[in-house]
Amino acid sequence: MVLDNFYMIVAKIIHINIKYPIMITRKTIENFIQKIPPAPKALKETLIHLNTGNLVKAATVAKEDKALSTYLKVLVNKPIYGFKNEVSEVSQIFGILGVERSLQAVYNYMMTLLSPSKWQLFKLNRIIFYNLQADLSVNWEKILKYLDIQDKDILSSISLLPASIIVSEALFCEKKADIDLLRSVNEIDLNTILQRLCGVDLFDICQQIAQKWEMPQSISDILQSASGLKASKDNEINILGKWMHLLLFYTLSQPKYIEAELNDFIDFQIDYVGDIYEEFSKVMEIS
Amino acid sequence: MRAVVKNGIGVFTPQGFLDASSGNSFLSIDDIDGTIAQNADMILVSMKKVIFFNRNGLDSFVKMFHRVRSANHCTVGFCDYDTKKYAAIVKFYRDDLNFSLFKTQEIALLFSANYKNQNKNILLYNEDKSQRAAMAIELHDNGHNPIVAQSYSEFKEKSAAKNAYDIIVTDTYLGQMGQKVATRVTGNAIIYTVSSFLDAEIGSTFNIAYHNNSLNVGFRLFIFDAYKVISMNVHALNFFSKLSSAGAEYNATICFVGMSFEKTPKEFKETLEDSGLMFFDQMDDILQNKDLLEELGASSAANVKDKRAINKTTVTELPNFIDATVATIEMMTNSKAIKESANISKIGILSTEGKIASSIGFYGDMDGMVVLIFPTGIAKKACELLIGEETNDTELILDTLAELVNIVGGKVKTLLADENISVDITLPRTYPDIDSLLEIVQDKKGVQVDLSFNNDKFIFFLTR
Repeated sequence: MVLDNFYMIVAKIIHINIKYPIMITRKTIENFIQKIPPAPKALKETLIHLNTGNLVKAATVAKEDKALSTYLKVLVNKPIYGFKNEVSEVSQIFGILGVERSLQAVYNYMMTLLSPSKWQLFKLNRIIFYNLQADLSVNWEKILKYLDIQDKDILSSISLLPASIIVSEALFCEKKADIDLLRSVNEIDLNTILQRLCGVDLFDICQQIAQKWEMPQSISDILQSASGLKASKDNEINILGKWMHLLLFYTLSQPKYIEAELNDFIDFQIDYVGDIYEEFSKVMEIS
Repeated sequence: MRAVVKNGIGVFTPQGFLDASSGNSFLSIDDIDGTIAQNADMILVSMKKVIFFNRNGLDSFVKMFHRVRSANHCTVGFCDYDTKKYAAIVKFYRDDLNFSLFKTQEIALLFSANYKNQNKNILLYNEDKSQRAAMAIELHDNGHNPIVAQSYSEFKEKSAAKNAYDIIVTDTYLGQMGQKVATRVTGNAIIYTVSSFLDAEIGSTFNIAYHNNSLNVGFRLFIFDAYKVISMNVHALNFFSKLSSAGAEYNATICFVGMSFEKTPKEFKETLEDSGLMFFDQMDDILQNKDLLEELGASSAANVKDKRAINKTTVTELPNFIDATVATIEMMTNSKAIKESANISKIGILSTEGKIASSIGFYGDMDGMVVLIFPTGIAKKACELLIGEETNDTELILDTLAELVNIVGGKVKTLLADENISVDITLPRTYPDIDSLLEIVQDKKGVQVDLSFNNDKFIFFLTR
């Protein structure tokens, strides 16, 4: 009798329909890209006016988009931007930043449209993510100044870099436990996992985002090079890619981003940046 | 940040810039406790992806070394650096260098008792004479052939002959080495490494739960590598006598290899032999003698002490085990699993050709063994994610399969912990063919679940 009961339990259990987790496939990536909304109308118009250098019209349109104007206010009042007094009006923000930096700030806002309301894979929140954007943007500007490069698209290219973090979160958030286990027995980064599973990497997906949002081609080219894995044949793009790769890991070595578990989400290609390290340490005043 | 553990060596790989503020953020208290719990034989911090560091940045890792070492007696240190980084670390800790430095992880492995590939010709050089001697002794004890260059000019001269050596060891420093009883699996034998003075401490440094479970999952030959043992006292004698008697119930054999009785009473040897323990001079006397291996039980699991039935606790947790297995293999192969049938019976494998298997034991609040039988094609595909390319190297596939089963074991552990069931897992074991698996499990009753991945049949078997 006892044995019969036991086997009844067994029979019941082994016929349970177990729901297995969803895998990451090319289809998952396609779905993710498909779900990216087109850039809002006000945002598109703001970009058009900024690209033609018309700050007044750009500010007038940007003001209509409450989320955009709030974001710009939060971003530029971060300490790293170094403004003594609080800046609150969009026209004032664009006026202080100028065309190129305003464009960069608006692209940064575009990236936030993709970020999740709640982060699961990384220990991030809205404030830390905005800080990351600000840290990268201000230091990228410092680098371009040192390299004597004045190009609005190149200045804005840094805004696409955090998209790699957003894509990682979107694709891997439901598989965190699996990823943690996999990475406990094998030194493998998220970019390599994705590449081996689907044949595309995080930076390819970022490029698709850039295309969908009609960002200039040079932005995607620099980002691909900044992966540290796909050196560009164009020497200028390649050098910018190296600086951006090193800047990313300089930034991700800050305590707040290490604690957010961002330090090793992709592999640092130390050999790729070896020839620019000395200059980089001078620009960033590392001693 | 957590360490990646492979072959008993745990490695942390911080990236970028390591200074006072970042150093402290890499390791939380949980990370340190987690590292201690991993019970690895070596804990290393790889510097290969660190482009800038200062002493304050390294200090948090050095503090972790002290904590892990005092808890586990394992070897700790830094690895994967160039000559410039080596010089900087030595300069930072000139008077306080009590951890080790290994130029590469490959060099660290040479100094680990877990290293399987012995007999390497190794050229070594260090400015410090006592370091040269210490390294030569360790390498020799671990079964290698060290050639010591006594001066830098001799080193330059010798190292010019590039093909003469398997590995060249420079920029390496031995701090305090591990004292715990290291474990490695060679074929179907488990080898424990013991050293220096064997006394009452052996009771705490030897993992008896792991040993007992290895008996349960079918291991029958246990070899104590005792080349480095200086002497044994009566407490250790009692410990090994008891261990041998307990193993006899499973028809297991316990051997000592390389034990010298110069400083240990000769009658101890007789006492141990009376309790069933065997002594050999060289490891190869056992491992290279197939007839003897068979006789000692390393190729057979016959006469299992008790053919234990699968119980209700184990079966109740079955969905967790299947979930862990299927999710892991789905993740690794990127193909969907379909459950075809499930039965309680002895294991049934219709076709044994072209299949390999792996098993992992678990013990604690509940105990048992998960066996996974793969068509070679699925095994190769599952391993591709970890290896990064297609391979036909059977040894590499089996090694990687062991990693995969480790992931399954880790996942089972996590899922059970969610239900307040605490278990530990054994080292995974792999079987190059089904015959070698059947020697262990053919008489055991368990739950067999047949699954299909892209029409390839895969078997999951849970038993005790």
